[in-house]
Amino acid sequence: MKAKIFNFLLTCLFAINSSGQEWRADVSYKYIYSNQLDKIIQTYNFSRPLLTERQPLLMNGLNASVSRIFKNEKHWKYGINLSYSFIRSAAENQNFNNTLQLHFVDLGYIFHYENAEKCKGLYTELIFSATASGLFRNVNDEPFEYDDEKSKSFGIGGEIQSKSGYHLKLKNKFYFSPFISIACTPYLYAPNNEAVINQTKGIASENWTSILSTQVGLAIQRR
Amino acid sequence: MDRRHFIKQSSVVSFGGLLLPSTLLSSCRKETLFEDAKFGGKVLIIGAGAAGLYAGFILKSMGTDVEILEASANYGGRLGKLNGFADFPIDTGAQWLHGKNNILGDLIAQAQTKISIDNSDELFWFNNQIVSSLPKDINEIFNREENVPDVSFKDYAIQEGFGSEYANIVEGIAGDSGAAAARISAFGKVQEEENWVSGDDDFKFQGTFFDLIDQQIASQVKNNLKLNTIVAKIDYSQSSIEVTDTNNNVYSADKIIVTVPITILKSNSIQFVPALTSEKTTAFSKIGMDAGMKVFLKFSNKFFDQNIIGGEICAAYADESEGKSGNDNVLLAFIMGQQAEFLTGLGNDLAITNALLQELDLMYNGQATASFLASHVQNWTTNPFVQGAYSYSTVGMGDARNIAAQTLDKKLYFAGEAMNTNGHHQTVHGAVETGYNAVFNLLNDIKK
Repeated sequence: MKAKIFNFLLTCLFAINSSGQEWRADVSYKYIYSNQLDKIIQTYNFSRPLLTERQPLLMNGLNASVSRIFKNEKHWKYGINLSYSFIRSAAENQNFNNTLQLHFVDLGYIFHYENAEKCKGLYTELIFSATASGLFRNVNDEPFEYDDEKSKSFGIGGEIQSKSGYHLKLKNKFYFSPFISIACTPYLYAPNNEAVINQTKGIASENWTSILSTQVGLAIQRR
Repeated sequence: MDRRHFIKQSSVVSFGGLLLPSTLLSSCRKETLFEDAKFGGKVLIIGAGAAGLYAGFILKSMGTDVEILEASANYGGRLGKLNGFADFPIDTGAQWLHGKNNILGDLIAQAQTKISIDNSDELFWFNNQIVSSLPKDINEIFNREENVPDVSFKDYAIQEGFGSEYANIVEGIAGDSGAAAARISAFGKVQEEENWVSGDDDFKFQGTFFDLIDQQIASQVKNNLKLNTIVAKIDYSQSSIEVTDTNNNVYSADKIIVTVPITILKSNSIQFVPALTSEKTTAFSKIGMDAGMKVFLKFSNKFFDQNIIGGEICAAYADESEGKSGNDNVLLAFIMGQQAEFLTGLGNDLAITNALLQELDLMYNGQATASFLASHVQNWTTNPFVQGAYSYSTVGMGDARNIAAQTLDKKLYFAGEAMNTNGHHQTVHGAVETGYNAVFNLLNDIKK
């Protein structure tokens, strides 16, 4: 099995290197909206009036991603994208600092459209990704543990992202590219999110969620 | 479009199309529930156990007019504290925090309450001798999560090939769930604990569990508490609900949260007008709650082990001084189900103590009686406002707990450990969860 995975990754790497023409690295501010996470944190705050400082909703974070666009002479290009996001929520109360850390990793396939004749430098992308999430909790700056294990919740789902940006030439083959994007995760199965945040199951939410997100950021591109 | 135009337009789009809605959306997204909900009516809570106290605390913190009526002379429900018996405080009721991934775990961290994991060793009284392990691992069958039949623990053990020599061991395992082995359902326990997320470690308080609830929760609502008020009737036929106590005092309220133990609901000692539906009363009757008592035995020397499971009179003895900062030798006899019924039937504390000493003498060659100093019997069965230990899943119980917990006419809300439908019944944190959940449902009904 390990050999098969290794061969697959090697083939992917070869394919990327042999046909790849552009690479891109970007960072962005990310805003998310998840009904499930909102409900759980709202229930947490509602049920704990002793905590005067409320737990903020999970909504503001940072994203970083790397992309490889494959060579193609036409308007449409294709590529792959690996993205990581981090969203944090912290509340400081007397003797009780509670921090939630939400991580997303997306691996996606890019449909890149660019028409130099009509709009030079402007590009639009659709990215279809598989998404994995991880939610962790720290109490008083230490990972919260019970039964000798960290409190954690993992999730899995899919995401559709639409991204638009504009290339500004820096020097040689390097470009600077501001971009905006909007994304939707219609289904993310994360059954233990409530157990991590509100320490219950089935009171505050379903075991899955959908997520809407927007990003504004900057990319460095080599073409 | 030239570059300058694009930059200008994309800035507008970025700010207007993303940042501005994000900022607006952020301000619309509330951090808590019912932030703007103001309930001008009055809420009466029946019962000042963990659920009732917590529901009262939440309502009070929201500025709601709330009053808690408690039948007994003390608040805390099935939590209690005994001072002076030993050189450390003793929990006469709930004493273990079952897992710390729960609301009380947070409260303990915030209050910096000292707790420790109960890692005490378990020995067995098996075939008239104390052994460190059993010939066959009986815990394995009760830890299964699949293919467990809806039969009693007792029948399940027999089906799995554990003979009569294991009967008192099974009684001890059932007693952990506050039940007689012949009544608690093996399947029901697995099914109901599917949503258990609290953790498996048990914790003991260096002080008492009662202190935590008293200092952190009860202290917030003491002015809203009326003790020695036994509710006899709840008339919810009109828009204003009338509650009458046994002294014929009448209390009016717009909403009622009933948090009394399931035994009290089953016994019909509270009259509901109009009468509860048969679906509701049937659901109550299907939720089990057996007799339960704790007997504390004080000795001049520590001849006993940390835990002894499988006695015929008491299926679970535990060293009470574990996790406490004291030197006295106190052994807890944790007696549930049929064993508690038998001991209650002996009629008085002296007879109960003597029966336990006899069994301990058999286990430890007469050392119990020789070093016995004092005992304290806390019989929750004979407490008229409790009448048992805690709720458990009976054979054929089905969806009873969900039905029992349902709101009636947007007026009567039910809370208490027996009404916890999310796997945390039988626990104090489970009771607390039902307390805030009842308030959630109440405010949600008002909002609608």
